[in-house]
Amino acid sequence: MLFNTPQFFLFLLVTLALFYALPKAARKPLLLLASYFFYMSWNWRFAPLLLTLTAIDYTAARWIEAADAIARRKTLLVVSLAANLAFLAFFKYFNFLAANFAALVGRPENAFGLQIVLPLGISFHTFQSISYLIDVYRRRQAAIRNVVDYALFISFFPQLVAGPIVRAHEFFADLYAWHAPTGEELNRGALLVIFGLAKKMAIADPFSLLADRYFGNLAAHPGALPAWSGVLAFAVQIYFDFSGYTDMAIGMALLFGFHFPVNFRRPYLAAGIADFWRRWHISLSLWLRDYLYIPLGGNRKGRLRTYANLMITMLLGGLWHGANWKFMVWGGYHGTLLAAERAVGRAIPRVITFVLVSIGWVFFRAATLRESISIIARMFHGPRGTVLWPRWQIDLILILLVLAMLEEKWQWFERIVRAPAWAYGAAMAVLLLGLELIGLTDVAVPFIYFQF
Amino acid sequence: MLTTRGFGLRLLCAAGMFILLEGALFRTGFYARLLEPNSSAGILRSILYDEKQRRPSGLPEVLTIGDSRMGLRARPANEISNETGYTFATIAMPGSGPRIWYYMLRDIDPTHRRYAAILIGVDEYDDEDYEDIANREMDIRYVTPLLRWSDVVPFAASFPTWQMRWEAARAALFKGYAYRADFQDLLANHKFRMKKLEAQQRMAGDLRYNQPWTDHDLRGLSVDWDKRTIEYPPGSSDSKKEMLRNVLLRETADQTGARGAYRSLWYGRIADLYRGSTTKLIFLRLARGPVARPYRVAYRTAAVRELAARNPQVILLPEHAFDSLEQPVNFGDPLHLNERGAQEFSRMAARQVAHALGR
Repeated sequence: MLFNTPQFFLFLLVTLALFYALPKAARKPLLLLASYFFYMSWNWRFAPLLLTLTAIDYTAARWIEAADAIARRKTLLVVSLAANLAFLAFFKYFNFLAANFAALVGRPENAFGLQIVLPLGISFHTFQSISYLIDVYRRRQAAIRNVVDYALFISFFPQLVAGPIVRAHEFFADLYAWHAPTGEELNRGALLVIFGLAKKMAIADPFSLLADRYFGNLAAHPGALPAWSGVLAFAVQIYFDFSGYTDMAIGMALLFGFHFPVNFRRPYLAAGIADFWRRWHISLSLWLRDYLYIPLGGNRKGRLRTYANLMITMLLGGLWHGANWKFMVWGGYHGTLLAAERAVGRAIPRVITFVLVSIGWVFFRAATLRESISIIARMFHGPRGTVLWPRWQIDLILILLVLAMLEEKWQWFERIVRAPAWAYGAAMAVLLLGLELIGLTDVAVPFIYFQF
Repeated sequence: MLTTRGFGLRLLCAAGMFILLEGALFRTGFYARLLEPNSSAGILRSILYDEKQRRPSGLPEVLTIGDSRMGLRARPANEISNETGYTFATIAMPGSGPRIWYYMLRDIDPTHRRYAAILIGVDEYDDEDYEDIANREMDIRYVTPLLRWSDVVPFAASFPTWQMRWEAARAALFKGYAYRADFQDLLANHKFRMKKLEAQQRMAGDLRYNQPWTDHDLRGLSVDWDKRTIEYPPGSSDSKKEMLRNVLLRETADQTGARGAYRSLWYGRIADLYRGSTTKLIFLRLARGPVARPYRVAYRTAAVRELAARNPQVILLPEHAFDSLEQPVNFGDPLHLNERGAQEFSRMAARQVAHALGR
């Protein structure tokens, strides 16, 4: 049940209607049931896995909290983290490790591989669980007493599949002091849902066709301009796809009275790579900072250790995205850029930042590491070729760029949320018309981050 | 402080503005003028546009409608206007059917008084089931520009499957959705589209009126119906032979009555359109092919005959009036008349219509 399907919107409307129709005591069980229904609509066989992880972390957190001795608390934390990571490692990384081991001992790539289906959203809910366990260990978060509450924290359907990665203190603050959303929150929520849907279907999906055209048949498009066309099309696609999903998730949560953190802040206007990571997938960046980079020592142990910490953090961040060397290289590429930026001590201009980030996306989109390198070589070397973008898509991107710059300066989105009804209605009508006219609706193109 | 009532008002505003915006673009005829001229909806729009622009001749007028087999060409029919006393015009359109004709007639003749008669060409007066005509997706693409809000339910309900009902309702409700591919093509090739539209505006009407049909014929064609073998015209290509085989030797399907129900519904709606007006509805059975297939079907219904029997406004021309045209020399392919056949048919039909109308 993808967010961009009529079935999902029917599910959302029914859940919203029941949520507000039922007495308060029944709302949490309703959301939990709806979330499991949503999860099981993808693959019901993974429900026991989600339940198991929930049970392990719920119990472990209670034990960690109850333990007085630091050694026991640490042991419990390590065991529970190991359990979480073991599940993640098995489902996500087993075949990757097996293929590399096979290569090492000279056996065929799939000699030790297994037929493993990746459970939906496992990378996201595992990170959410880990942050909860660590927060409980650090005594910054009380262990949750009610198992339904905890299960809802892990499975809440707006963010179950691809985040944002919500911290326990944020979620439970909303859950335990729940109040009906204000009119302004409802306005923001509904607009975000439609805004996100338009981002996904009217921008990301049409650009996915361009990106697929290039990356799907490299031989047919020799030259630098086709390479740039394909890479930039993917840069547009991945941003509007993921931020569109996130807008929808945040908007839906708001409609239920939950406040998710901002996950994107116009990342392609970033001045420098560090600035980019303050604007791109913010909930993951903060998670990596708080639970990996800072525990590694952050920037407190000298320049070389800082660079090493940056590199380790970004390599693992890359690996989190996918079990493939190309994601490691992508992470390493960003780690190197971050370290270089820090070493130079000066932010990179916006345009160069965008170009560097776009080059990084090649590792994300290309089928293999070898193909990535070949594409990057084409971008800077060889025949010129022709631009693959039709004129109207170039115009569309220029309009979107102007809108992004205006948002940066004047926050027009928030102005629309607070605008008179007619102006709010007009903005939403334009979004709906855009969806109707340029949205790809024949096929529901899956969200890119659903694969992680 | 905004309230939830304010939120409701905003959603209403959004819905209202969307309807207004979409309506201004797609329900005022604004976008229809920009449709790709060679698309289904574009062809329909241009045929209707030409007919709306045509100057009245001063004589009573007969409008002919049908699919690509409706070989009545206005020019030869009008060359004998002195004899018949009528001017003929045609809005026959390839690939169309009674459902599309209904919406075309409603659009072209809103007062139901413009024409002395509507001449409808049909393949048979009886209803033979051989294709699922009621469930054709193409109909949606053709008539989207002509659909109104009030058509959502009746148009959608006229399709037999839920899948097509949904498609039809969506096209009637959200015209922008139906025009999506056309709109994206316009964005991508707007200069080329504008040039095409200008050229089409300049000459389409004259072109349709004056352009001769094919001068190919099928001389040498004969069929042994018992042995189910065909002697092809000399020099026939493989594709032409295949087409002849597919059309002339097609298997007879189970007679379910579905086509009868469909024709009864839409001819009935066309008759309702003209109820109380002085316009006659005249049906004629077209020349069926270069060689007529023998009757081997146990027909269950005859929608046209039943309509004529209960409605004095409906006239059936003699069923065999055009049998003499069913010769290989008059056909360019197994379905369509050639120039010679169309000229002859047009004059014959014009005289038959004049006779039926009392001249």
